[in-house]
Amino acid sequence: MRKAAKIGTWFTFAFVLGMVLVSRSSAQTNTTPDLAVIVNPKNAVDSLSLNDLVKIYRGERQYWKGNLPIVLLFRPPGSYERMIALRVIFQMTESQYKQYWVSKIMRAEATAPPTELFSGGMTKEGVMAIPGAIGCISATDLRPGMKVLHIDGHLPGEANYPLH
Amino acid sequence: MKTSRRISTVFILVAATAVARAQTTEPNQSDVVKALLMRIDKLEQRVAELEASKTTASAGAPAQHHEPQEAQIPSTEGRQSMAAQIHEHDEHPQGGAVAENHFPSLQIRGFGDVDFAATDERGSHSGFNMGQVVLHLASPLSKKVAYFGEVSFTAQPTAYAVDVERSIIRYDHNDYFKLSFGRYHTPINYWNTAFHHGLWLQTTISRPEMIRFGGRFQPVHFFGMLAEGNIPSGSLGLGYEVGLGNGRAGVISRAGDFGDVNNNRAWVARLFARPTGLQGFQFGGAIYRDKISPTPALPGDPTFGEWISSAQLVWAKETPEFISEFANVHHRNNLTGHISDSQAFYAQLAYRLPWQQKKWKPYSRFEYTHIPVTEPLFSLADFRVQDLVGPTVGVRYDITDFAAFKLEYRHTKRGPKDPEVNGVFVQTSFTF
Repeated sequence: MRKAAKIGTWFTFAFVLGMVLVSRSSAQTNTTPDLAVIVNPKNAVDSLSLNDLVKIYRGERQYWKGNLPIVLLFRPPGSYERMIALRVIFQMTESQYKQYWVSKIMRAEATAPPTELFSGGMTKEGVMAIPGAIGCISATDLRPGMKVLHIDGHLPGEANYPLH
Repeated sequence: MKTSRRISTVFILVAATAVARAQTTEPNQSDVVKALLMRIDKLEQRVAELEASKTTASAGAPAQHHEPQEAQIPSTEGRQSMAAQIHEHDEHPQGGAVAENHFPSLQIRGFGDVDFAATDERGSHSGFNMGQVVLHLASPLSKKVAYFGEVSFTAQPTAYAVDVERSIIRYDHNDYFKLSFGRYHTPINYWNTAFHHGLWLQTTISRPEMIRFGGRFQPVHFFGMLAEGNIPSGSLGLGYEVGLGNGRAGVISRAGDFGDVNNNRAWVARLFARPTGLQGFQFGGAIYRDKISPTPALPGDPTFGEWISSAQLVWAKETPEFISEFANVHHRNNLTGHISDSQAFYAQLAYRLPWQQKKWKPYSRFEYTHIPVTEPLFSLADFRVQDLVGPTVGVRYDITDFAAFKLEYRHTKRGPKDPEVNGVFVQTSFTF
């Protein structure tokens, strides 16, 4: 009887420990959301090709149609949005990205790198306040009122959406 | 009693393991930043949810005056599309205020290098030398006007020489037309307009001979005005640069900053393509036209017509990096009608190695310059440009994101009667 109680105690302990480990590992393997590209609601653009988005974020295209200057908003190192954008849009590492903008400014092709905003909320506010602004936020942060661009004809959440 | 002691022991072991693990995986600064950013995002999300629930509770029904529009919002589980009503947002000045540009907003970046050289050239001394200290200035003056400047400090035997390398004010109309005035690096050569005086930006220690600073083969600087922009061409990514300026000064290695030496303006036109599907790939060509009035004046005071044509092929990705350029310089002595063509080219290949955090980048370059002995200008003592056949091999090691070590071996052979020269060069270059 005493032996059975001892085994039961050990079993319970092992079970609890196992559950804790499983819950931790499942928390770490959550699916990642798409990256949504947002612009000011007054911006006439509804969709971009991925190539156009690459040109815009790399500073090769600096004006919207109508000669409105594009204002690039970006997230700081360590953020999820930046990680996705570096991989898919820039196709660069963090180091290459920094060197790219040093080089671009040196060549007088830009005056500054994209403005870094410290939260998705600030990105939304920036896009709302600046007519030519474009920003990337996690699709889970999308709220009513935002203008989300189609990329290659797709919106976040749809199959074949390229930014994830 | 025995059981409880065992459980206590197990707990102590688990706790000790956890503490040890925590110590060994102490989060570095980027992890802390990452965690803080996630925390900010979660808090913002929570605030938005609370605001939304408060609005719903107080309003009871959606506002009538808001215009409906479709927007796709995935659920928190991700990937589920849904339609949502759009309504006018309140103005939130905080993010906008941070992101909005202020004019003027001057940004200064510095470049520097320290070098060591040792060659077997007769009469040369090995030793360290101070490279250039360069300050690059960029300042938007409005949404469409910007100033760019580049100032260098170069060590001389008795003092430092200060030079304005570039000083440009540019007016942007749109992506297709930008007009600027000032002093440029002549857009007749890729290297000249890609790396400027920032030696840290270029893979190698030295510039190619055909476009070296203080060289005469091609005009490094150009003073005047320049129109540039993209050409609507879809995925071909065409661009252009067209300039009109003073051209070479009487001392042909310099630009006519102080004023033109004759009444003929120089002009330059460059066309290039950066195909969208091939990031880092660029090819193009340029032509340059000038009338040279050399100083000191030559017997009979001749002027020289100059036509330069060039071509570039660049793959700027580092796995591999390939840069190759060719230029032909055509001179005509306007007094005698004597013409001559000189050629130069280089091809450089580098590869960023995948090991050791991609810090190593070996490279090699081959250069060639040919000046005919009858060249009417380059063969004269005060305007001499020498032949060159020279391979270079080296390696670059990036110490950090903003500093590099470079080690280079160069073998150069000038004229047929000149001795071959071997040299080892070391450089640390950086940006700050």
